[in-house]
Amino acid sequence: MLGFLTARQAGLDDPLRLRRAESTRRVLNLELNHDRDVDRIHNNGINTIDIEVIEGRYMLSGGADGVIVVYDLENNSRKPQYTCKAVCTVGRSSQYVHRFSVETVQWYPHDTGMFVSSSFDKTMKVWDTETLKPAEVFQFEGNVYCHHMSPIARKHSLIAVGTKDQKVQLCDLKSGSRIQVLQGHRGEVLSVRWSPRYEHILATASTDSRVLVWDVRRASGSLFSLDQHNGDKSKASSEAVNTAHNGRVNGLCFTVDGLYLLTTGTDDRMRLWNSANGKNTLVNYGKVSNESRKGLKITVSRSCSPEFVFVPCGSSVAVYTLHTGELVTMLRGHYNNVDCCQFHPDYQELYSGGKDCNILAWVPVVRPPDVEEEGTAAKGGSQATVNPAFEDAWSSDED
Amino acid sequence: MFRSRVLLFFSGVCLNDWKILFDKELLQQCFKSVMNRKRALISDTFKVNKRRVGNEKQFGAVNNGEAGPLDVKATLQDLMTLFPRKLFNDALPQIVLKHQLYSIHNDRTQVDRQLSDLREQGELLMFQLGFDAEAFGLVFAADYKAKVLAGEEGRGTRGTVDKFLEKVLPSCKDLSFNKEKMLKEFLFTDSEITYKEKSWQLVKSGVLTVRDAGSWWLSIPNSGRFTKYLIQGRKAVLGMVKKSKYNEVLKAELEERQTNSQVKFQIKYHIHDIIGAELVECIPTTSGTVLRCVDY
Repeated sequence: MLGFLTARQAGLDDPLRLRRAESTRRVLNLELNHDRDVDRIHNNGINTIDIEVIEGRYMLSGGADGVIVVYDLENNSRKPQYTCKAVCTVGRSSQYVHRFSVETVQWYPHDTGMFVSSSFDKTMKVWDTETLKPAEVFQFEGNVYCHHMSPIARKHSLIAVGTKDQKVQLCDLKSGSRIQVLQGHRGEVLSVRWSPRYEHILATASTDSRVLVWDVRRASGSLFSLDQHNGDKSKASSEAVNTAHNGRVNGLCFTVDGLYLLTTGTDDRMRLWNSANGKNTLVNYGKVSNESRKGLKITVSRSCSPEFVFVPCGSSVAVYTLHTGELVTMLRGHYNNVDCCQFHPDYQELYSGGKDCNILAWVPVVRPPDVEEEGTAAKGGSQATVNPAFEDAWSSDED
Repeated sequence: MFRSRVLLFFSGVCLNDWKILFDKELLQQCFKSVMNRKRALISDTFKVNKRRVGNEKQFGAVNNGEAGPLDVKATLQDLMTLFPRKLFNDALPQIVLKHQLYSIHNDRTQVDRQLSDLREQGELLMFQLGFDAEAFGLVFAADYKAKVLAGEEGRGTRGTVDKFLEKVLPSCKDLSFNKEKMLKEFLFTDSEITYKEKSWQLVKSGVLTVRDAGSWWLSIPNSGRFTKYLIQGRKAVLGMVKKSKYNEVLKAELEERQTNSQVKFQIKYHIHDIIGAELVECIPTTSGTVLRCVDY
């Protein structure tokens, strides 16, 4: 580690290299921490979590009872022991609360004054965070499974909505109406995601085992469908041609640079696709157990090398290396199924929520101080004024 | 060993039963202590470059992946020796399942890549075995040709099969076969009668099995009994693991166990099969690898 610091100081190394190495080390050391807790407000399972992009300070959570809670993640108390307090709640007593379970929540990508939630009561509400009243309500014909707003969009403010209906709806925030419908799926749409690289590219996943990639400016249909065999018709049986998975596709996630797309399906597989041409990169993650009938929220790490993907797997969160498919570790701590997880990129922390009504914070372990031997401790006493930053606590005795 | 077993049991037991009795902090403490016993994960950039020989001798879980560069061909040859040739009166070539390789090597993507390289070179053939969408059988090409031709001795279909093996197999690297490919590469004439008769002959000899109208899977002749014994044996071995206390058994102990009449292959073959197909979980412990039944 000192080597990295001196190299960065001298200009031998790119500044990014030190950052990546340290982020990776921190992600590999994620652990449940005694000192960090999240306030327990929900009385039913937690379906979705979102951390805002601007400051990374506020977190939204939506539960199976329709309750939405906003938490403050920042620790201003100067003590290591900290509980993330709930700042405000849309509880059962509010007259605007969703009647059934909230499936997806997302902060408005440009500031925290607004957030959008969609629920099984067939509505999607756009909330004003200050007053906790919905500024806009969109009605749909079927249960809304998911929605997503593009994090980089400047030219449009569309929300893509996946419902029980086969059509993907695009709602416009500026005009408050549903302006476009994307037809192409033959089953319920379980997950939608905008690309973080191009503001007009949208990926949608459905129970008909297919994942379609759209350019919303194009009227005539999807750009391409992801094919797990990459066009090799010989591998599949004839029904499974041109499908992304051999079961329902219920999880979608783009990597941070938008170059790759991850999909998970009920055939217990996770696949990594090249998002530009739709080819399956054939990275083999093994069996990623997936029994969810609704969408599954997976998340990817940011600015680590190698990148990691966090997948809720039963009652634990599995961490895989993105490009080699190796299972790094399983984060165990929940008592019941985990439904969603979200990575905090600035502090390399992972928040996961599940049916046990808990949100757990997985925090990187701090480096342990080196235990010095008895002999050197006596000598070290006279050098007690050495600045700890110059103490060599990392090189091994054999060097 | 007892302590590690207890903690393993504790962490493995369905916690839903215990959460009423214990509070959250206690259980999370327990998790933390289990997790601290693992060596901390170190990313590659921070690993010390020198090899610490002798310091890191693990005497339980053997780590195969770090041994050297991945050699799939050598592993295949090792696994092929587990295949019982006498059982089928030498009529079948030695078959290894693709997921048995995953139980030996940790990096599945690399295994897949090397396998596709070997298939490109024409040394290895892959077949869709039919009972599972993901179960693929691997046979060395030379082996396959020898056995098929031996099986065709004295039969009328010999000529067709010969021509098929010579012309089509080297050029076709897929798992299945369809009408256009057949007409284009196999036959010189495209008269309907000859095509139908030839395709019927190939199916009869066992080299092709029907998949759809106008398309066929490549297959191994006489492999029906192999599939039957494999499924039977797999069920029996899984049953052995399930009947054990706590649904888990030491891998070394399972290898020594006596098999009943249901298990026709060597038990090691079946063990690689169930580990690779992820029907059991492989847990490294201080007394060796433990196989635990995954019940869904």
